[in-house]
Amino acid sequence: MKQDFRLFSELYTCYYQVVKQILNHAEKESLTVRQMTEIVNTYGHKESALSIIPNLLNGTWPLLEQVSTPEGPAKYTSRISCCNKPLPLTYLQKSWLKALLLDSRICLFLNDEQLSVLEKALEQTEPLFYPSDFYYFDQYKDHDPFASVQYRAHFQKILAAIQQKRLLSISYLSGQKRILTGIWLPCRLEYGQKEGKFRLYCIRIRNNHDLQMDVLNLGRILKIEETDQIAKEDLSIDSFLDKSLSLNPLVLEITDQRNALERAMLHFSCYEKKIERLEESDKYLCSIYYDKRWETELLIQVLSFGPVVKVIGPESFLKQIVDRVKKQSVLLRETHYSLE
Amino acid sequence: MSEFKELIQRFEKIRAYVWDFYVYGFKSRNDYQEKSLRTYDNERRRLESWFSDYTHSEQNGHKKSVFITMASSKMAVNPLFQIWKSKTFTAKDITLHFFLLELFFHGGSYGVEALTDQLQVKFGILEDPQTIRRKLSAYEREGILNKRREGRQYLFSLNKDFQEQYPELFPSLFEAVCFFQGNAPFGFVGSTIMDWWNLNNLHFRFRNDYLIHTLEDEILLPLLQAIKEQRSLNLTIKSSKSGRIRTVTATPLKILISAQTGRRYLCGHQKSNNRLASFRLDNIQDVKLLDADSAFAEYQKDFSSHAPFVWGVSFGEKRHTESVCLHICVNEESESYILDRLEREGRHGTLKRLKPGLYEYTYSCWDAAEMLPWIKSFTGRIASFSCSNPEVEKRLFQDLHLMEQLYGYNEGDF
Repeated sequence: MKQDFRLFSELYTCYYQVVKQILNHAEKESLTVRQMTEIVNTYGHKESALSIIPNLLNGTWPLLEQVSTPEGPAKYTSRISCCNKPLPLTYLQKSWLKALLLDSRICLFLNDEQLSVLEKALEQTEPLFYPSDFYYFDQYKDHDPFASVQYRAHFQKILAAIQQKRLLSISYLSGQKRILTGIWLPCRLEYGQKEGKFRLYCIRIRNNHDLQMDVLNLGRILKIEETDQIAKEDLSIDSFLDKSLSLNPLVLEITDQRNALERAMLHFSCYEKKIERLEESDKYLCSIYYDKRWETELLIQVLSFGPVVKVIGPESFLKQIVDRVKKQSVLLRETHYSLE
Repeated sequence: MSEFKELIQRFEKIRAYVWDFYVYGFKSRNDYQEKSLRTYDNERRRLESWFSDYTHSEQNGHKKSVFITMASSKMAVNPLFQIWKSKTFTAKDITLHFFLLELFFHGGSYGVEALTDQLQVKFGILEDPQTIRRKLSAYEREGILNKRREGRQYLFSLNKDFQEQYPELFPSLFEAVCFFQGNAPFGFVGSTIMDWWNLNNLHFRFRNDYLIHTLEDEILLPLLQAIKEQRSLNLTIKSSKSGRIRTVTATPLKILISAQTGRRYLCGHQKSNNRLASFRLDNIQDVKLLDADSAFAEYQKDFSSHAPFVWGVSFGEKRHTESVCLHICVNEESESYILDRLEREGRHGTLKRLKPGLYEYTYSCWDAAEMLPWIKSFTGRIASFSCSNPEVEKRLFQDLHLMEQLYGYNEGDF
């Protein structure tokens, strides 16, 4: 079915979602203005309450009615009762789902029977896009084998275990080509577009109390067995990740030649960063906050910019760059290369 | 003076500001002289409200810069999707949205007259039937309502809910939506499904994710439509360097994406010079679809035959390819990861072992200058480099010498 889609539509506006939440809560229990404001602050933007609350209270949006309260603050109840029901999907949303059916990774989430059901459900729907329209020209060649039967089974076991907080017994081929076997609590899956790989963030429990975060490449998992152990407490992987953040940011001096500023800013936009313009020069100082586990990757990225990006600190990072430049100088002199 | 509003009427109004605040982040109020400073103040306030958790400011002398920053690998859902969820609406829109759906959720089919009556009886809303008809038709076009003819009138009913209709797909489809909203094109559409289904992405994160791409989705949609329908188009392109605006007529063929640098391009057959060319998506300001191009299949074939000789997005300006030969030193016992890098990142090039510890990488491409950033990432290991384009060869060695100077190297100093 041919559609002219509206991407920017009030149907998806945040305010509709916020009001839906208020009505949903107000249907179960009448709300004070303070309670409504808390809901707006949770689901809306910083200043949404300034617009939403007065419109609801003064009847411009006549969706609430005041209930009589003998004392205390005024309370409001919803005038409608079906707010907790999900809306039917729009053609745009269905069309996006249809496009997912053409993505080789969809089989990691749905079994063959579910894929057939979804195909059938969306048979009248045109995909919003075709993966074949996109060409990732610098993606690594050795991406994960999403269509492999074993890979798919591993993925589904891991995802189920994450949901159930179930510990898994995993055999794993390490980067040093050693086979490791152990019990891990799988916590989170991370996908890297550049590598086309999934990584499993998991926690290993040693001696019943020592906790260690490990990151396993799904493509290198050899075998998974479910255990009957369920984690009793909520272990946050984020607390482990915070520990691996570099204490000092990487500080770069960017010279705006060959469009370097724009290239670097876009390149490093996926990091948390801060940039300042150095007065009366074409130079900029950029501080990048990074995870120490990915330091080598960041080093390679910085080197790729050549002389338009200079590392100022931290000392350990600078030393690595200097070492490489030094090695390169020696190599150039060995080959007697001369600019002339 | 008009009252400040968080929501906006037109998406493109905010696109440039988000780019500046998120990608650059150093500009201050004085850098926005082209438009009124009041407009800047409003847009800044709007962005501070939408992205309050990610907005910071920096005082530099008397100048204050406000910027948005976040580590994409920590994000469960791209915060920039909020821009798509900021469309203004009228009081009538939101009132009818909730009251009409309330009537439909109780089941049954209704004509316009019946709904107009019900709104008045149940909710005290007195509305013109024409207005109701327009709203119903809009929701029918979106796919929320179903319309069928009965006798002399149209009856509207709510389309079936996906979860109710296909329970066997859940919760698997929940997880799929949570994953793909972060990694598939038009991810914000997935995030709206998450909103509607009350989902949180608890289990997935995305590395090296370029969140800014969502700003280009309004441009991407007609480009994909043109590819699908094999039509030409007029592109309005604003140069990021000079700010100059030009119009290009081209037949679109592919969307080229760099997973490493964050850039996305449209590759198309440019009419003016009858050649393949690439245009950055973030520079395209407007797209107008033209007629079908009968040579589309021929251009696609042309692209496929050239693709193995294109390192990035440049098809060069010459009639012959440029050959590159790179010798790389590797400690084979302890540095096998360098060979892995050359293999997996070397695209269509060939890797050969010349002798223990020395490898040769060769490749022929239309524009060897595009390879320089990748080659420079091997700084410290480049034993030799040659290119049939002497300018490219010279540029690499110049850069390596400049690196020596940059880090204070004088021969024998290190």
